[in-house]
Amino acid sequence: MAASSGKEKLMEEEEVLQAVILADSFNKRFRPLTTRKPRCLLPICNAPLLDWTFESLALAGVQEVFVVCRSHAELVKDAIKDSKWSKPGSGMKIVPIMTAKETFSPGDAMRDVYTRGLVTSDFVLVMGDLVSNIRIDDVVRAHKERRRTNKDAIMTMVVKPSGGMHRTRTVGESAVFVLDPETSECLHYEHVQGHPRAKGINIPREIFAAHPEIDIRNDLLDCSIDVCSVEVPSLFQDNFDYLDLRRDFVHGILTSDILMKNIYCYIAEDGYAARVQDTRSYESVSKDILSRWTFPLVPDDNPPGGHIYELTRGNRYIAKDNTVVLARTSIVGRNTLIGSHTTIGEGASVVASVVGQHCRIGAGATVRNSYLFEGAVVGAGCTVDRSILGAGAHVKDGSRVPRGCLIGEGVVLGPDAMLQPFERLSARRSVEEVAAAAEDDDSDIEEVESSQDPIEKNGLGKDTNAVVWPRGRPVDEEEDEEGPENFQNQRFMRLGDTLSDIDDGDASSSSDSDSDSSSETSDFDDHDSISGHSDLSLQLTDAGSVSGGLMADEEFRTEVTQSLERAFSEGHSVDNAAVELKTLRMASNVPLTRVKEAVVAAIVERIPLVDGDARVQRTAIGTMVSRWGGLIDRIGGVDPVETVTILQAHCASSTRMPLFGQILAALYQDDIVEEDDIRAWHALPNAQPEEGADALAENMRKCWMIGTHMIQQFDAQGSDTETESETETEAESEAEAQKRAQKPAATPAAAAVSTSAPATKAKAAPPSDSSSDESESEAEAPAVAKSVPKAVAAPSPDTSGESESESEAEGKPAAVSATPTMKPAPPPAAIAARTAASEESESESEAEGKPAVVPPTPTIKAPLPPAAIAELVPAAKAIPVAPVIPAPTVSASATTEEKSASAVPVAKAVPVSVIQTPASVAPTAKAAPAPAAAPVATVSGSTAYRTVPAAIDSSEEEGSSEEEESSRANTQDGESDDGMSDAISASDASSANPSTTASANASEDESDSS
Amino acid sequence: MVSESRSAPANRSVEVLAQRLRRRQVVGSRAAALETLLVLRQVIAKARFSNLEQLVAVIRDAGRRLVEAQPKEHSVGNTVRKILHHIREEFHAATRGTVAAKPVSFSISKFVLQGQPRKQAVVPKAESKGTLRENDPDDPDSFARGLKPVLMEAIQDVLDELETVYDNISKNAKDHIHSDEIILTLGMSKTVEQFLKSAAHSHNYSVIVAETAPSYDGRVMANSLSEAGISTFLVPDSSIFALMSRVNKVILGAHVILANGGMFAISGSLMVATAAKAHSTPVVVCAGQFKLTPLWNLYHEYGAHDFGNPSDVLGFENGDLFDKVDVVNPYYDYVQPELVVAYITNDGDHPPSSIYRLLKETYDDEDNEL
Repeated sequence: MAASSGKEKLMEEEEVLQAVILADSFNKRFRPLTTRKPRCLLPICNAPLLDWTFESLALAGVQEVFVVCRSHAELVKDAIKDSKWSKPGSGMKIVPIMTAKETFSPGDAMRDVYTRGLVTSDFVLVMGDLVSNIRIDDVVRAHKERRRTNKDAIMTMVVKPSGGMHRTRTVGESAVFVLDPETSECLHYEHVQGHPRAKGINIPREIFAAHPEIDIRNDLLDCSIDVCSVEVPSLFQDNFDYLDLRRDFVHGILTSDILMKNIYCYIAEDGYAARVQDTRSYESVSKDILSRWTFPLVPDDNPPGGHIYELTRGNRYIAKDNTVVLARTSIVGRNTLIGSHTTIGEGASVVASVVGQHCRIGAGATVRNSYLFEGAVVGAGCTVDRSILGAGAHVKDGSRVPRGCLIGEGVVLGPDAMLQPFERLSARRSVEEVAAAAEDDDSDIEEVESSQDPIEKNGLGKDTNAVVWPRGRPVDEEEDEEGPENFQNQRFMRLGDTLSDIDDGDASSSSDSDSDSSSETSDFDDHDSISGHSDLSLQLTDAGSVSGGLMADEEFRTEVTQSLERAFSEGHSVDNAAVELKTLRMASNVPLTRVKEAVVAAIVERIPLVDGDARVQRTAIGTMVSRWGGLIDRIGGVDPVETVTILQAHCASSTRMPLFGQILAALYQDDIVEEDDIRAWHALPNAQPEEGADALAENMRKCWMIGTHMIQQFDAQGSDTETESETETEAESEAEAQKRAQKPAATPAAAAVSTSAPATKAKAAPPSDSSSDESESEAEAPAVAKSVPKAVAAPSPDTSGESESESEAEGKPAAVSATPTMKPAPPPAAIAARTAASEESESESEAEGKPAVVPPTPTIKAPLPPAAIAELVPAAKAIPVAPVIPAPTVSASATTEEKSASAVPVAKAVPVSVIQTPASVAPTAKAAPAPAAAPVATVSGSTAYRTVPAAIDSSEEEGSSEEEESSRANTQDGESDDGMSDAISASDASSANPSTTASANASEDESDSS
Repeated sequence: MVSESRSAPANRSVEVLAQRLRRRQVVGSRAAALETLLVLRQVIAKARFSNLEQLVAVIRDAGRRLVEAQPKEHSVGNTVRKILHHIREEFHAATRGTVAAKPVSFSISKFVLQGQPRKQAVVPKAESKGTLRENDPDDPDSFARGLKPVLMEAIQDVLDELETVYDNISKNAKDHIHSDEIILTLGMSKTVEQFLKSAAHSHNYSVIVAETAPSYDGRVMANSLSEAGISTFLVPDSSIFALMSRVNKVILGAHVILANGGMFAISGSLMVATAAKAHSTPVVVCAGQFKLTPLWNLYHEYGAHDFGNPSDVLGFENGDLFDKVDVVNPYYDYVQPELVVAYITNDGDHPPSSIYRLLKETYDDEDNEL
C-alpha cells in the first residue's frame, strides 16, 4: 500500500497514528449468533462492537485505521461504509482490508498486514471487539518515548489492574504477567486458562538474576490494546508458527534468546478497556457500559451508535426520541437500556437488560439480564433469563428461555417453548441460503442441520424454525484440548454459567485418565482443578511464583514422549534421537533436567512388565537399557547422580516401581551410572525421604533402600574380590547369571548379611557418605539415623512452592505437613531388626529368610521416632567392624534367593522380593507386592512427582548450583580418600573396578581373584 | 438554503469540535466557549449569505450541531446565542446607521414602562437602509461583504470578553472579601481562584478549602492558593458543617447559572450551600456571563447532573463489588436560588432573582431553542 507522496509528506510533518483492527474473532464462541454476522458487528448496548472500537481509537487521535476482516468481510465493509466514520470530518480514515479465508489466526492476519505493507510507523493493534475509553495516545507517547532510547522495545501492552474476581476479567483466558515494577517491562508472560488449569508458572531463572525486584501479577486485565512498532508484523512473518498474539507472540518473544526484543506493559490506572471475547464478557461489558465505567462512552452521552438515550435514576436508559412505548403497568428495572421504537406491554418487566430497537415485549413477559438485539420479539407471558436473543428472534407466547441460551438471528420459538439452559439455536436456512453458503466454509451449520434429532425439537414449540446446536462436549473434539477453546474452558466463557458443577466435571475427567500411567503429567492439573475456579488467582498468586510445572512443560513432555515413541518404534539410532530431543529442548526452552526426566520416564515405561518370570524381566530391562540407555547421557549434561535421582523419582510414582533395582543395575552395567554415582545419589538428602510421609515418599524410600542394598553389595563385593568370591556364585548362576551375578547377588547379600551394612556405615562412614553429604561425613554410626530426618526436604508431599522453600532450609518437620502417614514406615525398623537378627546369626545362612518375615512383628504400626532409630543403630554399630565375611555373604545370597523364591512365588527375582517386603508387610501384609505398591504410587504420586523436579530446580536456583555442590562433594571425596581407612579399601576397590563393564566384570573379578 | 451556504472547511471544523466535545476532550466551560467562538468565527468568515436570516440560519445550524454533540456543556449554546445576539445588534447598528443603541442600563420602572427590553431594539428592523442591502439581486454577496467586518468585530468583542472574564470578575474582589475574614470554597474553579488571589492583593484573609471528593480538586485549589501566599486550610468534606459557624463567606464557582437563579456546580456545592444556609453564612457565586443559560427547569432532568465514571468512587480493582453495588457519581449538584446570595459576574453583581433579566439582556428570546 504505497502511500502517495503527498501523504508521505504529511507524515513527515506530523506522524499519522495508525491502527490495525483485527475484526475477526478467530473462534466460535458466539455461535450461532455469528453465523450470519461477524462478531464485530454484533451490537452491544445497541451499537455494533466495531463502532465502539472505532470510538476508542478516535479518542486516542488515531487517524488511519486498517480493519482486517475475514469472515463476512463484505458485511464489515458495508458497515464501515455506512457508518458515520466514513463521512467527511470524522477525522479517521478507515480502510477495510479483506484477508483470505485461510487466515485462521491473529498471527496469519498479522502476516497479511505485513505482506500488504500497511503500517509505516508505530501503530495501535486492537481487536475488533474492544470497548475502551483509555487514552491510548498516552500509551503511544510512552511507547515512542521508550523507543527513542531502546530500539528493542517493540511493543507496549495495555493492561488494567482489575482485582482477582472482576466480572470483566475472564477466568477462561487470563494471564500472569511478570513485570519489572520500575520500568514496567514485561519480563515473562504466561497464559492461564480455566481448564486445564495451571498449577504454577515457570519463570526463567535469568529474570531473577537480572532484576532485583519483580512483580508477578495475575490481577491484570489484558485490554488487548497493543502499541506495536513497525517490526512487529515482520516478526510474525519470520516466525510462521506464531498464531496467537499473546500465547505465541508475546510468550515467544519474551522467551526467545535470539530475538532480544522487549515488550512493555502500560498499566492503565484510569480508564476502562475490555474485550468482548466471549458471551460471558459480553454480559459483563454490557453491564460495565450501563454502569458508566466506559464514560464518556455511555448511552446518554456519546454512544458510538449515535442514538441518544435519556438517563433516569438507577441507570435506566430510554431512547430519547419519544418512540418508546412503555405500558403503564410495565416495570423497567435498574441498569436497563431500551432502544427506540420498542414497545413494552402491560405488566411486563425488563430488568438489567438491553433491549434493542424495534423490539416488542409482550404483556406479562419477564426479561432479566438478557440482551435483545434489534427487532427481537418476546411474546406475552414469556420468561427470558440471562440469554441473548439475536436480531429478529421471535419467542412466542408462554415460552421460557432459561439462562445461557443463545438464540440466533430470525429464530422463531414457541408458543410454549421450553428450552434447556445453555441451548443454542439458529434458524434453519432456506434452500437458497444453503446454496449461497455452499461455497463458504460454514461446515458447522451444515453439520448441525444434518444432525438434527426430531426428538430434540419437542421443547421448541410448534411454529419453530430452529435448529438445535449440540450441547455439551463435542464428541469429536480432540484438536485443541490444550488450547483455550476446549470445552471445559469454554464454560468459563459462557454466559450465565455459574460453574458450580465444574468440580464434578473435572474430577471425572481426571479419573478416566488416571489409568493411563504415562499421562500422569496431565493428571496433576486435573487433581488441582478440582478445587474450582475460585481459588485460581489465589493459587497463582502464592504458589505461582517460582517453580512447579506448567503447560509448556506438559506440552514439552508429551512432545518428548511422542518423539521417543517414534524413535523406539522406528528404531532410530541413539544419536538421531538425541539430536531430535535437543532440538525439542531448544524449541521449548526447558531446562535439561526436564528432558532427562522425560527420557528416563519414557525408557522406564517402555520396559515391558513381565509377570512371574524374573529372568525374562531382567533380560527385557537389559536389552532396553543397553539399547537406549546411552540416550540419557547423549542429550547433554552428563550427570549420572541426577539420572539416578530422576529414575528414583519416576519409579516411585510409576507402576514400574519394582523394577527400580534392576534398572539401576542395568544402568550400572551399561556404565551409564557408576558406583560412585550411586553412592553420591544415595547420600543425597533428597534421595531418602522422611519415613512415613506418604506413599510416594514411601516408594522413594524403597528405591533408596535398594540403593542401600546395592551399595552394601558393592562394599561386599569389594571385599569379595579381595579375598575371593566363591565359586558358589558360579554354581548358582546359570547361563544368564552373568548379568545378574553381580546385582542379584549383591542385593540379597546386602540385605541378608546386613552385618556388612552397619559395618561399612559405622566404620566406613566417611567415604561413603562424604561423597555428597556435607556435614555428616564425620558422623559415624548414626549416619543412618541422621540421614533419615535429613532427607525430608525433597519429596515433601506438599505443593511445589512449599517444598521448594523447604528444600532450602533443611528443616525437617515442616515438610511433612500434609499427607498423614498412610502406613508406618517399616524400613528403618526393618533394617534395624535385620541388623539385629543378622547380628546373632551371622554365619548361619538359614537366618536369611528372616528379614522378610521377622520385621512385621515389633515396630511396624507406628513410624519410628528418630530416637528409636538412633537406639537401634548403636546396636548395629556394636557389630564387629570390618570383618566382612565373604563366603557366607555369597552363599547366603544364593540361599536367600532360593528361600525367598519359595516363600514368595511371585518374585523369583530376589531383589524384587526384598524390596517389596517392607511395603507388603506394612499395612496388612497380604496384598501381593506389585498391586499393593501400584495404587499408592498413582494416588499420591501425582503431587510428589511434581515436587521433585521443583526441588531440583530450586536447588539449582539457590545460587549454590549443582556444580558447586558436586565440586564440593568431589573435594570432600578427595579428602576422604586421603583419610581412608583400611576397611574402606574394600568398597574402594570395587568402585575402582567399573572401568570394565559390569557383566564381564563380575566373572572377571571372580576369575581374577581365584 | 442552509446547506448551500455551508462551505466544507468550516463544516469540517464544526464537526471536529463537535467530536471533541462529544468525547469530552474540551474541558471546562470557558475553554468550550472559546473553542465554540473560534469555530463560529470560521463559519461566519466562510459563510455565504445575502440576508440576515441566512446568516442566522448558518450560525444556528452550526451551533445546534455543537450543542447536540454535548448538551451538558451549556457554555457552547450560550456562546452561540451570544453571537447571534451580537450579530443582530451590529446588524441593526449598521443598517439603522445613526440610531444609537438603547442605553444598557435598565431599571424596574423602565422595565415596566418599556416592556421587554430587547423588543425595542428589534422593532425598527423592517426599514433597513443605509449601505447594507439585503437580498441584492445584482450582487448577492454585497450584503455579506458589507457586514462581515462588523461581524468580525462583534465576535472579537465576545472573544475579548471571554478572555478577560476572570479579570473582570475579580476586579471587585476586594469589595467582597475583607481583612481577617474566613472564606470557604470548594473544588477547583479558575474563576474563584483568580477572585481569591486578586482579593489577597489588598486584604489579608484565610481560605478553607474542602477536598471535594471524589475528584479532590480542592487539593489543587489549596496548593494554588497557598502558593499565592494566602493562608489556606485544606479540610475534608465531612468537616464543612462543623467549620461553617466560623466561616464569614462561602465562595463557589458555577457550571451553569439557570434563569431561575439556581445553578449547577460541582457536587458537594449543595451540601456547602445548605450548611451555609443553616448558619446564615452568605453564599456568593463567581461565574462568567457565558454561564448564564436560558433554561430554568434543568433540574428536572436526572441526567443533567452529568453522571460520571464510577471509578472515582469505587476502584476498578474492587471487581467483586461490581455486581452488588450501583455507584452514582454525579459531577454536579443543583443549588436552588434560595441558597445563593449573589452572583458575581463580569457584568456586575446580581442577586439570583434578577438573573432572568440579565438573560434577557444577553440573549435573544428566539435563540433559546437553537
